[in-house]
Amino acid sequence: MSSPLPDSANPFAPRPTPARRLEGAVSWIFRIATYFVLACGLSIFATIFWKGSATVFRAEFPFVNTAFFTQAPETLYVFEWQGEKREMGDKEFRVFREAEAAKAAAEGRPAPVIRADSYAHSAGGIFPNVVGTVLLVVGSMTIALTLGVCAAIYLSEYARDTAAVRLIRLAILNLAGVPSIVFGLFGFGMFVIFFDWNVSLLAGWFTLAFMVLPVIITASEESLKAVPKGFREGSLALGATKWQTIRKNVLPYALPGILTSSILGIARVAGETAPIMFTAAFVISDRLPWQVEKFSDMFFQGVMALPYHIYVVSSKIPQNEYTERMQYGTAFVFLFTVGLIALTSILLRNKLRGRYKW
Amino acid sequence: MDSTATASVPRSRPLATPPASSAGAERGATLIDIKDLDFYYGAKQALFDINLQIPDKRVTAFIGPSGCGKSTLLRCLNRMNDLIDGTSVKRGAIKIRNVDIYGRDVDPIELRKRVGMVFQKSNPFPKSIYENITYGLRIQGVKNKTRLDEVVEKSLRGAALWDEVKDRLHESGLGLSGGQQQRLCIARTIAVEPEVILMDEPCSALDPIATAKVEELIHELKKQFTIIIVTHSMQQAARCSDQTAFFYMGKLIEFDATHNIFMNPKNPQTEAYVSGRFG
Amino acid sequence: MKRFFDAELETFRSDLLRMGEVAVRQVRDALQALVTGDIKLAEQVIAADDELDELEKRIDTEAIRYMNLRSPIATELRLVIVGMKASHDLERVGDEATSIAKRAIRLAAEPPLKPYVDIPRMTNTAIEMLCAALDCFIHADNEKAIAVVKRDKEVDAINKQLYRELSSYMVEQPGTITRALELMFISKSVERIADHATNIAEEMVFLSDAQDIRHDEALKKAGKAG
Repeated sequence: MSSPLPDSANPFAPRPTPARRLEGAVSWIFRIATYFVLACGLSIFATIFWKGSATVFRAEFPFVNTAFFTQAPETLYVFEWQGEKREMGDKEFRVFREAEAAKAAAEGRPAPVIRADSYAHSAGGIFPNVVGTVLLVVGSMTIALTLGVCAAIYLSEYARDTAAVRLIRLAILNLAGVPSIVFGLFGFGMFVIFFDWNVSLLAGWFTLAFMVLPVIITASEESLKAVPKGFREGSLALGATKWQTIRKNVLPYALPGILTSSILGIARVAGETAPIMFTAAFVISDRLPWQVEKFSDMFFQGVMALPYHIYVVSSKIPQNEYTERMQYGTAFVFLFTVGLIALTSILLRNKLRGRYKW
Repeated sequence: MDSTATASVPRSRPLATPPASSAGAERGATLIDIKDLDFYYGAKQALFDINLQIPDKRVTAFIGPSGCGKSTLLRCLNRMNDLIDGTSVKRGAIKIRNVDIYGRDVDPIELRKRVGMVFQKSNPFPKSIYENITYGLRIQGVKNKTRLDEVVEKSLRGAALWDEVKDRLHESGLGLSGGQQQRLCIARTIAVEPEVILMDEPCSALDPIATAKVEELIHELKKQFTIIIVTHSMQQAARCSDQTAFFYMGKLIEFDATHNIFMNPKNPQTEAYVSGRFG
Repeated sequence: MKRFFDAELETFRSDLLRMGEVAVRQVRDALQALVTGDIKLAEQVIAADDELDELEKRIDTEAIRYMNLRSPIATELRLVIVGMKASHDLERVGDEATSIAKRAIRLAAEPPLKPYVDIPRMTNTAIEMLCAALDCFIHADNEKAIAVVKRDKEVDAINKQLYRELSSYMVEQPGTITRALELMFISKSVERIADHATNIAEEMVFLSDAQDIRHDEALKKAGKAG
C-alpha cells in the first residue's frame, strides 16, 4: 500500500468488492443445493418409513409384525362372508373354504361359492426373501473379497507397472461403469446356460461378485497404496520377504479401507435386482433354501430376494390398498437391512482403524 | 592416515591422523569394497564408476547435493533398489566380506538381515514397541518368549531408549516422540544383529536435541557395527563420521578422512560444497 | 556461489594485510631511527604501535565472530585460524620494533660503538622474510614460504655472531657495557622478528595446504645445509 492511511482509519474494514458479493451468492447456491438434496432424500425415507412401519410394527406386544418376518409371501383373498368383509392369506383361505364346504356337506347343503378377490403376494411375510438376500450377500461378498483382495494385492504389490498392467487397471475401471443388467445377462449366459447351473444361488453369487469386483479391487488397491511406503521398506530392510511384509505389515493397515469399500459392495449386492433377475431369483419358492434333499442342492436352487420382491410387488401386481402394505413393508425392511449391514461394517472399520493409526 | 581412504591420492602426507586406528585388528579393515560401479534407473545412469572401500566398525558419511547419488549408493548396499522397477548394476561390483552382493548366489533377504537400514522418515510400525523390536526376529521364526524379551531389552538399551520406554513396551511405537521413534527404528534394526547399518538422513526430521541423541548413539554403535550415514548436515558428517565421501552428479568426487575433507579438501567442488558455496 | 558474508572475510583479509604493512614499516623505521639516530622517527615508531594493537584486537574479534556465526569450513576455517595467529605474530613484531625504537633513542645520545653493519644486514633479512611471508598470504606459494623458514638460520647466525662480538667488547672495555647491552637486545629483537616471520610463513603453508610444517627436523637440516 503506497497511499498512507490516516491513523484513525481501519485498514481491514470490509469493502463491497465484486468478489465479496460473489462470495455471498455462491455460498447460498451451494447451501440451497445441499438442502435440496437433503430434502429429497428425507422425503423418500420418510415415505417409506411412514408407510412401511404400518406393516412392520404393531401397536400391541411384541410391537413387530412377527408374521411378516416369519412367513412366506401368499396371495391375499378378500371376500364378503355373512355380511362381513374378510381378508385371508392363501393357506388360511383354503382351510376356511374346506371347513365351510365340510360344514355345508354335513348340513346337506351344497358347498358355498365364495367369490373372493385375490391379490398376489399381498399376504404372509417376506421371510424367504430376507433369507435369500442374506445368502446372496454373504456368498457373493465372500467370492468378491477373496478374488478382489488377491487381485488388488497383486496389482499394487507385485505387478510391475507395465502396459499390460495398466490395461488391466483400465479394464477394471471400465467394468465398474458397466450397467448391472449387462452383468445379469452375462451371468445368465455364462453360469445359467453355459455352466448349466440353472437359475441358482451359485450363479447369483458369481454374477453379483463379478459386478462388485471392480469396486472392491479399485478400492482395495487404493487402501493398499495408502499404507505408507515406509512400513514396507522398514519390514523389507529387516529381512522380511514380500509376502511376510504384506501379511504382517501392509494388509492389516489396509483392512479398514478394504472394509469401507466392501460396505459399498454389500449395499450394491443387496440392492441390485437386474443381475439376479435371470440368474438367481425366483418370484415364489415354496421351500426355504435349506429344505433340500442333499446339501449340494442348496447351491443349485433359486432363492427369493428382497430387491426382486420389491420389483415384483411394485410392478407385476396391480396397485391398491391391499398390495401397498407389502410394497412399503418390503422396502422398509430392505432399507433397514442394508442400513444395518453398513452400520456393522462401519463399526468394524472404526474399531480396526483405532487399532492401527499412523 | 587410513589406507582405505584412497579415492583421491593426497598431494602430500596429511599429518592429522584420525584417532581410533589402534583398536582391534579387524577394525578399519575394508568391509565393503565397491569397484567400478555403474548403476542405472532404467536408461538413466545414476552412478558412474564408483570406487570406494568402506572400513569395518567405522562411521562413513556420504555427503553431496540432492540427487547426487549418495542415497542410491546407500540403497545399493542392501539391494533396496531392487524394489524399484528397472534398476540395474550394469558394471562393477559391490563386495561385502569379499562376496559380490549382486551375485547369483546372494539372496537379498539374507543380505538385508546383515545390512540393516534406518530411514529418513522414522517409520515405526503401528504396533507396540515390543512388537516393533521383535518384528525382525519373529519373521525369522523366533518364538521363544524369553529370548524375545532379552533381545527387546538389549536392543532398547543399545539404542539408549530402554529407560525411556521400559514401562510402556506394549504401547504403540507411534506414541513416542520423533527422536524416540527414530531410536526405536535403530533399536529394531540392531535387534536382528546386522553387521552394517545404513542410515539415510536419519536426523533430517529431528530437532537438535533428538539429533544430538542419535549422534551420541551412532558414536556408541560404531563399536559394534559398521555405519554408513547419508546426511545433508555438514556439521553432522563432521561430528559423527570417521571418513567422508563427497558425491556429485552420480560420481564420487572425493573420499578421505573426515578431518581432511573438512580441513583441506583436495577437490574444489568438495571445498565449495562443504563450505556452503556450492552452485 | 557468492555468500552475503563474503565481504566480512574480505575485510578480515585486508585488515591482516594492513597489519603486515604497518609491521614491516615499523621495523624498517626502527632500523632507520637506529642507524641515523633519528629520535623523532623513533618516537613515531613507538606511537604507531597502537595501530597494530588496535588491528590485532579487531582481527581477533572478527575471527571469533566469524567462527561463531558463519561456521567456516576448509579454506575459510584455515584463513580465520591463520589470521588470528598471524595477527598475534605481527603484533609481536610491532612490539619488538617499538623496543628497538626505544633503544635507538637511548643510543642516539651516545657515540656509536661501531659502524652499523651487522644489525642492518640481519634486520633487512628479517624484513625480507616478513615481506616474503606476507607475499605468500596473497599468492599461496609454499616454496617461497618454506624458503622463509629456511632463512631463519641466517638471522640466528648473525645474532650469535653479534652476541660473541658484543660480549668481547664488554669484557675488553667495561665503558661500552651499556651500549653493547642495548645492541645485544636489539639483535635479539631482530632475531625474534625473524622468528615471527618464520611463524607467519609456516602459517601460510597451513593456510594453503593444511600442512603443519612447524618443528619439522627435515626442514631445519635443509636450512643448515643451505
